[in-house]
Amino acid sequence: MPPKRKAASAVQGAVKSGRASAASTPGPATPRDLDSDDDDFGSPGQVDLPAEEDIQSAVDRFSLAHYQDQTVRGPVDAASRHFGNGRRDFSYLNLKPDHKDRPIWIDPQRGRIILENFSALAETAKDFLITVAEPLSRPTFLHEYSLTTHSLYAAISVGLQASDIIATLDRFSKTELPSSIRAFIANSTSAYGKVKLVIKNTKYYVESSDPEVLQKLLKDPVIGPCRVQGTDITTTTSNMQSVVIPGTSNAAGVQQVKPSDKSQEDVPPEQAQPENAMQALREDDDDDNSEAVHAFEIPDSAVETVQKRCLTIQFPILEEYDFRNDDRNANLEIDLKPNTQIRSYQEKSLSKMFGNGRAKSGIIVLPCGAGKTLVGITAACTIKKGCIVLCTSTMSAHQWRQEFLKWSNIHPKDITVFTAEKKDKFEGNTGIIVTTYPMVTQSGKRAYDSQKMMDFLTSREWGLMLLDEVHVVPANIFRKVSSHIKSHSKLGLTATLLREDDKIGDLNFLIGPKLYEANWMELSEQGHIAKVQCAEVWCPMTTEFYDEYLRTNDRGLKANLYIMNPRKIQACQFLINYHEQRGDKIIVFSDNVYALKEVALALGKAYICGATGNNERIRILENFMYNPNIKTVFLSKIGDTSLDLPEATCLIQISSHYGSRRQEAQRLGRILRAKRRNDEGFNAFFYSLVSKDTTEMYYSTKRQAFLVDQGYSFKVITQLAGMEQMEGLVFNSAQLRRELLQKVIVDTEAKRGMDDEDATDDLFYAKGRKRGVRRTAGTLGELSGGQDMAYIEQRKSANKSLKKNNKQSDFFKKHYRDIARNKANAQQ
Amino acid sequence: MSVNSLQLSEYLENMSGMTFRRLYQQPSAAFAVFRRMLPHLAKTLVMAILYMPTPFLYSDLDVWVKPAAKRQKDQALSILRALHIITSIPASKDAQPAMALTTNFKNSLRLALEGGGDHNSFGVPSNMPVSEDLDIPFLDKYARKKWDDILHFVVNSVGITDGSRMSGETSNGPKGSVKELLIGGRLVERKSPTSPTIHITQAGFTFLLQEANAQVWTLLLLWLEAAEANANAGMDHVDMLSFLFLLASLELGRSYSTDALTESRRNMLPSLVDFGLVYIPAHDHKQFFPTRLATTLTSSESSLRSVSAGFTAASEGVADAQDKNAIILETNFRIYAYTSSPLQIAVLALFCELKMRFRELVSGRLTRASIRRAVDMGITSDQIISYLATHAHEQMHRVAAATKKPLLPPVIVDQIRLWQLDTERMTATPGFLFMEFDSVKEYDQVKRFAEDVGVLKWSDDRKGMFFANKVEQIKDFMKNRRKENP
Repeated sequence: MPPKRKAASAVQGAVKSGRASAASTPGPATPRDLDSDDDDFGSPGQVDLPAEEDIQSAVDRFSLAHYQDQTVRGPVDAASRHFGNGRRDFSYLNLKPDHKDRPIWIDPQRGRIILENFSALAETAKDFLITVAEPLSRPTFLHEYSLTTHSLYAAISVGLQASDIIATLDRFSKTELPSSIRAFIANSTSAYGKVKLVIKNTKYYVESSDPEVLQKLLKDPVIGPCRVQGTDITTTTSNMQSVVIPGTSNAAGVQQVKPSDKSQEDVPPEQAQPENAMQALREDDDDDNSEAVHAFEIPDSAVETVQKRCLTIQFPILEEYDFRNDDRNANLEIDLKPNTQIRSYQEKSLSKMFGNGRAKSGIIVLPCGAGKTLVGITAACTIKKGCIVLCTSTMSAHQWRQEFLKWSNIHPKDITVFTAEKKDKFEGNTGIIVTTYPMVTQSGKRAYDSQKMMDFLTSREWGLMLLDEVHVVPANIFRKVSSHIKSHSKLGLTATLLREDDKIGDLNFLIGPKLYEANWMELSEQGHIAKVQCAEVWCPMTTEFYDEYLRTNDRGLKANLYIMNPRKIQACQFLINYHEQRGDKIIVFSDNVYALKEVALALGKAYICGATGNNERIRILENFMYNPNIKTVFLSKIGDTSLDLPEATCLIQISSHYGSRRQEAQRLGRILRAKRRNDEGFNAFFYSLVSKDTTEMYYSTKRQAFLVDQGYSFKVITQLAGMEQMEGLVFNSAQLRRELLQKVIVDTEAKRGMDDEDATDDLFYAKGRKRGVRRTAGTLGELSGGQDMAYIEQRKSANKSLKKNNKQSDFFKKHYRDIARNKANAQQ
Repeated sequence: MSVNSLQLSEYLENMSGMTFRRLYQQPSAAFAVFRRMLPHLAKTLVMAILYMPTPFLYSDLDVWVKPAAKRQKDQALSILRALHIITSIPASKDAQPAMALTTNFKNSLRLALEGGGDHNSFGVPSNMPVSEDLDIPFLDKYARKKWDDILHFVVNSVGITDGSRMSGETSNGPKGSVKELLIGGRLVERKSPTSPTIHITQAGFTFLLQEANAQVWTLLLLWLEAAEANANAGMDHVDMLSFLFLLASLELGRSYSTDALTESRRNMLPSLVDFGLVYIPAHDHKQFFPTRLATTLTSSESSLRSVSAGFTAASEGVADAQDKNAIILETNFRIYAYTSSPLQIAVLALFCELKMRFRELVSGRLTRASIRRAVDMGITSDQIISYLATHAHEQMHRVAAATKKPLLPPVIVDQIRLWQLDTERMTATPGFLFMEFDSVKEYDQVKRFAEDVGVLKWSDDRKGMFFANKVEQIKDFMKNRRKENP
């Protein structure tokens, strides 16, 4: 918990220096902290890597908790105590006289921003806020954003100035901008964006528009010596043209229209006044382009040292790639096909990336099915250099290659896939390689050709590194990737930049800031992604199951009981039946592989889990897509991401990974790209089945938090009308349910201690299938092979010794002699 | 007849004819009942027969009223009868059935209309000098403050000890006697008889949601009932009621002489001051001022303000039309209320978790825990939903109308209901646990007996105990059994 903040900080006196720094330095505020229900920033995670500590300390310095609002508070009234004993009562902030026309409130303590979506200025304000703040919730009327260090970092990196941010916020704010927010923005941004790391002619330059900052860096004991001997500070006036992103209307007209013109059209007429800060801000933006910049060169080897040092001395380095002036790396013949049009939000997100004519590194967040792939491809087409694409699975690697061929005019020989099975290099001197995270991060001994391929990858310089589903990559894996493979710019793509653990907290610093985050509801309104009806089906536990659930203390068994709850299986069957008759294609998700198999078998449907072979997977999926008789497929969590099944229109979830908001969003993403989404009145369906009165209910609420904040609402269904009357309902006698219960208990018991299939089923933590061996007691039937028990030889060498003392029984000696004799007789 | 007089009419209808005769002795009371309690048709009827020398024939009445309006006519007649305004004269040999006004009512109403007599039923204006400051705005402010104190006491009682507030800036809430009255009326409850902590009850929440006028009557009726129950206090509830009707007929902004009042009525004044119905200048006890709360008691025009308007009242100066409909409920369970009234915030705090407060905006969210807390206090989900619906922001109305969807997100409404249902799954049966029998045989017999007479609720043969909801028969049975086999 953050310390109780008081208005008058004088009271704290001497205590403050000691305590405030210890207690009021919470960890990174984003993105894992995005569930807005908590009041504190969360406690800093304990990290042991030295590099992460640096980041931690850099993050801490920028937390808003440091800046206390000095505004004198007026007298409080009776209602104050409802707001954390008056701590969150900000009614002392005076309203501006024309506050009704201004759309936002700003919380001086945590930087939360509340926006009136129905205000006349809402569109302009949203456009601005998405750049400087993290969206927290975006339902119908009032949106919430949060000003964080990361979001400011992102704002600075797209070229905004602190003074502009403050002025614009102040203009939109209904109240006077609190001093704490002013200080926070000013301080955070004074450090950000001042220093850039630019690769020009494959030489690294540290660049800044402020000579003083550069001098300061050069005087630094660590950075100073890193400067390449004999080089001076170079001062250039870079007059940058803006980049035309292919596929946009600008490109079509082949006019060098600045993107800012486009965005100005969004400004409502009443905004086009001279004091319009938005406009002024964009003009400033343009001015920046012709500003003098100063730079000094550093050797490749020192890049990481300099980066780290800059972080500690509060000048986080922005990485930019001036790809048009990069002559050393060969240009790649790639462009979008002429008929490819990218959508407005895709263009918007890319314009953030290529804002000032250079490629910035960062993360773009788009909902599943909203065309992340095309954004990646367009980025590659803009940079036109060698490109490496990292994705999560072999399957999606092939999909990426297909997409590249589909949307761009790249020569098929220039794009290759590097996976366990395929290891091709491109033939020309540059090209695109699609590979998977495990392939490039695997440590230890590699196969000969893999190793050769890796050497090839690491020896080159890449123009762009595309990181698909970047949320699945924990920071330490990513660190490995980026240390192995050198690329000028990195673009992370994801739908859900959240994780329940804090493993991606540092991605902002490692890859770059979040450049853009789309509004799910808006895209769905515009028909880019499907409209979805979400429902949570409450399935009561049957008496037998609930008895056992209450009795046992074993978490595994409890989980299996509420997942295998017969009522839930019945509900699942009923829903499958109902939607199959409507002509929907259904995906059933189960995290729990045991339940997946059992339920799929009970209902007679095909399933795919981690253990399913590649060929079988493809066969099942093809059947699902093209065979009208196969309407349902069961998937374990391998289907959560990167699986493109536009046929699916209905999704049923029977077990899930605790309170993972990301998983819920990713799964929903499986049906967002439904083919039929533009049909009149089409709705996709998302059901989440939960067993009533179990911990599942608790997790379920947590899981939905992200989607609910995006504006989705989950309807609770307590009773499925007509389920009891359904014919052929499984487990509809007490006898069958008891049998199921016994089976669940026995199977859970039997599985204990064996390899934890659930944990290794994730894409990233799979470390090969371990064959677990254990000693076990068993019935005679089992020991003699009645079950699937097998023996293995512990001491194989013993066999050899057996051969040596070849002592045969007299009986057999005699027997063999007889046989030999009979044979001899027969031949004669 | 407006909704808020329902309680009053219920109260009146339960009174005896004797009480009415006494009540109607006062022209002001008769007049007030006439003005306040009667539907339009009944008023017309009363006026029509007021000066008739002879009883009015029902057959004539049937000619007056269109056949289609028979229901309204019957309703009017039943109200008139219930309030003892008319009496029916049954048919006899030489006359058809007819009706007539009761004597007292007729006389008093005639007096009230004609303005004659020396009954002083409409108060005696004071001739004493009045200070300049005692104008209508002052009285309004005074009454509002008094009444807000009472409402605050009701809402603020949530989770706070003794109704006292954090800040010393405002007053310390209503007088002890008013508090006792609220507790006695079960609008608020003590957690335990000795505990100073009190919390709001379902009745209290209903009370809060009423219009101000109805709230005043609720409180006054509680007061009357308390006086009725406590006969030794020297308060005559008929006289009290009649005095209230008198107050209702006074003019706002004028001072009235206390000398003209009877002794018992002068004794009522302090309580009325506590309620905010009457103002008595500190230096001058010879005169009193009725406030708007009192003068509008029997008028159908909204008195000081309705509750919803009341939320804006505290934020005087910034109040405008928008504030009346202040609440936005989002699909993500967040609630935003455009208000700065401590009262409305306190009401919101009853069922949501408040997050942040700006001037004129409060943000919070509905959670399972917050709804549960409210339900535990006796507030029902329907009350919460109707509160949210009545105070929905105009934007919500606009969007609902544009998309043809319900005003409140149905998912949230369902969820609020489900949260309440969640708390209602357990039913409690008071009863008795029987255990530690001397023998299995005894247990079996007693249990079987309990089962036979139908009082057995639960049993555990292994532990030899059972639970029954009634004990008398079993007690007798066991006694007899002991006698038979000692």
